Amino acid sequence: MRRSIAAALTALAGLVVLVDLAIANPALSGFAGWLNQLLVLLAAGAGVAGALMLVVRHVARLARREDQLGSVAVLLGIGLVLLPGLAPGSTGADAPAVRWVVAALLAPLIAAVLALLFPLMLVAAARGLRIRPRETALMLTAAAAVLILLLPIGGQVGSWLTATAAWVRDVPIAAVFRGLLIGVAATGALTAARILLGSDASYD
Amino acid sequence: MPNIGDLAGHLIGLLGDLIGSSSARLGPAGIGTILLVLFLLLALLARPVTRWTTRDLGRLATLRRSLAIAAEAGAGAAVSLGTAGVGRSVNAMGRLQTLAALPLLDHVAHLAARSAVPLEVTTNDPVTAYLADSLVAAAHVRTETTERASRSHVTYVGEGRATEAARALAGGGGAGRVTTGPGATQATSHVLGSMGEEGMLLMLGSAAGQASTTFGSADVSQAPSVLLLGEGTLVGPELFEAASDLRPGEARAGVLAANRLIWVAVLVLVLGSILQLLGWADIAGFLVGRA
Repeated sequence: MRRSIAAALTALAGLVVLVDLAIANPALSGFAGWLNQLLVLLAAGAGVAGALMLVVRHVARLARREDQLGSVAVLLGIGLVLLPGLAPGSTGADAPAVRWVVAALLAPLIAAVLALLFPLMLVAAARGLRIRPRETALMLTAAAAVLILLLPIGGQVGSWLTATAAWVRDVPIAAVFRGLLIGVAATGALTAARILLGSDASYD
Repeated sequence: MPNIGDLAGHLIGLLGDLIGSSSARLGPAGIGTILLVLFLLLALLARPVTRWTTRDLGRLATLRRSLAIAAEAGAGAAVSLGTAGVGRSVNAMGRLQTLAALPLLDHVAHLAARSAVPLEVTTNDPVTAYLADSLVAAAHVRTETTERASRSHVTYVGEGRATEAARALAGGGGAGRVTTGPGATQATSHVLGSMGEEGMLLMLGSAAGQASTTFGSADVSQAPSVLLLGEGTLVGPELFEAASDLRPGEARAGVLAANRLIWVAVLVLVLGSILQLLGWADIAGFLVGRA
């Protein structure tokens, strides 16, 4: 019964928003807007609850003396962002101190994590060769071929390589990407319909 | 100004006209024969032997065995629901991927609960964390193992796509907590959902020290990473298809049989077109009675 109510509410909310996209009606538009505001409110509430949960969990870990370094880092990070934003006279997320924390700490940290992509790509290639040798070898050969085609070489050979690289990008690679995108769009639409109709549960 | 009532009336009238102007070309006996042939074809294509056999997308069918081994080894299972979430500011396809990953989490949670394997679910979105927590709790209720529920956790790792990847690389989630044995303990790790450029880091971190991995994303740009790193892979549309394949029942058998019929129809069309183009047979003329 509970599941039916949830499924019916999901279907109703989804259909209202969907119909609002197709039909201009002031009452319907107001209802759909209210639903959207409700979603924003829900997400905001969940965000606050999530942050509190994070703090509680890491404080508990500190109390249990588990992974103290990690928990201290998380709590310190939360404090560094929250305190300047909540300090008296602060303008919140736009406060210069908060912006400095983001620009001087968060952005370089994220950049540092993403900078690991290149060396770890080599590790990933090694793992791929171990678990799926033939397919990975084919993939790496294709990647090496594209790299060679994109080498900055001048003259007649360079022109031929550039033209071939453009053909490879525009024909086979684009075909694979478009095929995947069409498949994703079709199955995505089906999944959305399943969610709207409440038929996505696997065991109930 | 057109109104909806007029439009609906017009459409219903159009449908009525279409039905009224139609007649059975072959008569009841002919139509019955065609339906019988279709039924026989269906029965032939969806034989009892293969009716319940489907593709093993993402090696999810072998999960039962992997989790049994994990239980024997005292290890656990880890699931990351990608880096898009539901309540975060991401595009609709990213959110849809997270929603599509939830039935897969349901599958893993169900099997983990039954096998007494602790499950660690991580996400960077609090709304998704709530949904995942409900699924894990429901799996324990369904399998009547609520006493084991406290061993499984859903963790909100904080905001940002890089956060989840950094956590995975640091081993702060599944690999660090659930593997209770030596480094090479048997366990399973799954990353399912939308990922950005941090996808490779997330999957690589999640794969460390795990025996069995299933990675899936419908983000086309992440397809190479999924293929490189995952033992079981769900690339592109497969992430959306996998949930349907896990669901037993007559509906799935019907879909499988219908899919096979569609493939047969496509094959007939292609072969017929080739014969027609080569001039070896006038199939179009035979079918529609025209030369």
